[in-house]
Amino acid sequence: MAITILPPTPAALPYRSTSNPYTDTASSSEDEDEDSMDIDSLPTGHQAHSTTIITPGQTVTDDPQWMRGHGTFASADSTAIRSTLAGTLQKTNKLLSIVPLRARYTPEIGDLVIGRIVEVQSRRWKVDVAAPLLANLMLSSINLPGGALRKRTSVDELNIRAFFGEGDLLVAEVQSLFQDGSASLHTRSLKYGKLRNGYFMAVAGTGGGAGVVRAKRQIFTLQTAHGAGEVDVILGVNGHIWIAKHTAEADAKSEAVGVNRLEEVANASMYSSQNDDISGETRREIARVAGCIRALMEGGVKVDEETVRRAYEAGLEMDEREGEAEYLGGERGRGIVERVLAG
Amino acid sequence: MPLDSSIYTLSALRLDGRRWNELRRINGQISTQQAADGSSYFEMGNTKIICTVNGPQEQKRGGGRDQSNEAKVEVEIGIAGFSGVDRKRRTRNDKRIQEMQYTISSAFQNTLFTHLYPHSTIAITLHVLSQDGSLLAACLNACTLALIDAGIPMSDYIAACTTGSMASYADKEDEADPLLDLNGSEEQELPFLTVGTSGGEDKVNVLIMETRVQMARLEAMISVGLDGCKQIRGILDGIVRAHGKKVLQSKVS
Repeated sequence: MAITILPPTPAALPYRSTSNPYTDTASSSEDEDEDSMDIDSLPTGHQAHSTTIITPGQTVTDDPQWMRGHGTFASADSTAIRSTLAGTLQKTNKLLSIVPLRARYTPEIGDLVIGRIVEVQSRRWKVDVAAPLLANLMLSSINLPGGALRKRTSVDELNIRAFFGEGDLLVAEVQSLFQDGSASLHTRSLKYGKLRNGYFMAVAGTGGGAGVVRAKRQIFTLQTAHGAGEVDVILGVNGHIWIAKHTAEADAKSEAVGVNRLEEVANASMYSSQNDDISGETRREIARVAGCIRALMEGGVKVDEETVRRAYEAGLEMDEREGEAEYLGGERGRGIVERVLAG
Repeated sequence: MPLDSSIYTLSALRLDGRRWNELRRINGQISTQQAADGSSYFEMGNTKIICTVNGPQEQKRGGGRDQSNEAKVEVEIGIAGFSGVDRKRRTRNDKRIQEMQYTISSAFQNTLFTHLYPHSTIAITLHVLSQDGSLLAACLNACTLALIDAGIPMSDYIAACTTGSMASYADKEDEADPLLDLNGSEEQELPFLTVGTSGGEDKVNVLIMETRVQMARLEAMISVGLDGCKQIRGILDGIVRAHGKKVLQSKVS
């Protein structure tokens, strides 16, 4: 008997292996579309997000009553609002915007940021704040040693590197935004200025789960264990974090200072690049705080004052229970995150 | 030319056992590298690619910032020496690589919303770990995933695949079948083209053909390619959703 081999069926099923985890989600995306259409029931406000994921090109709604915000676009020939990002839907009254799962930091006025000087120009510095463009720091928007009433001279312009040089770290506030979205910074407060005596770390940018969130307090002091004294933590909104030894100078800064006191405090040490002596214990606790923050980041937990405090306590407890270890990642990191989430 | 002779006409199965309109196994991951703004790992059969995206950021080298009102998309492709069958040393200004870089860059320049980031640069770096056909298509898909991870706005996914045409001789015209998603050995034997489309609109962003084929077969090849792109878009969307779900689950409110 002859064997006949049949020609292929014209429309075989598209290739999907049964073990493919994406098959289910891809086929159920239609249902999710329906869920996200239910915009009316979504609570409005900054904290409220939908729980469904919206992906680029997906139609959010074609109802003309909604306005389109960040992360959306409308093609020229229709009123349908479509997403440009992968993220969750946020509703502010009639404005629909997409909050991305992860994105680079975009500066906003009033943000506390930590940056690094990358370029010194004649009357300003260029600062890397992890934004799409470098930020500007004008010579006129820093505090000069000698008090607020000191006049800026051409000598200051010539000695611009005496204040900040390339590679210096500083904490500043976003004063204004330019047309192209780049930021202009200022350090005209004793809270701001050059950073020393500490440890720098960067966590991923804004959006989605992890990263630094805008909070009431970005600068706080931790009372650390093992006689290491106090440690200052500065959480820059741009995801840069500074953990430093708490100094008397910082104490003086935090007091309410009048114009007269200001003169005394704003002395030459403001722009010193020389670190103080830092004891071994303090270094150890600084490293522990950094490890805790890294564990939070890897666990996808937001970084703010409360979570950092809780993570630090969890880290200490873990040391007491399981003995000292150098490393706070992996299993120990997950343990810390669990304790933080358990609250 | 052993490939297009007996086996296919008898069984209508290709060398690796697929039918004419079947894709290879496609796998992808998002956020594979912490240090980059966006990253992905993408497999299309045995073609394996790592992609990282940095930016948008201000260009550091070169004097004076560019005054254009759009972000520039810069693509760099590194093909590992061990990735192919022959261990060929490729220089930085290899013409084939340069053309691929240009193709990818211009495709994304038109799909990303670059006007939101004036004076800045989006740097895409691709590392080819293993190549087995459909290299350009796999690169485009990997870039799409990494750019989504980087949170850069785009109008839609760019999904790409290759199509070929069976039987490269004119006398077998009636047997000519379009084939979807060629692997390395098929690519060497058959005429093929790479097509990349963005999303449901079926807007063609990339269409490249370096071999010769009879005009009459082109239409069938392109239509099979468009269908393949639609399938790949579905798979990419699944990868992004699965990743998003994972991120949302670990988030504390």
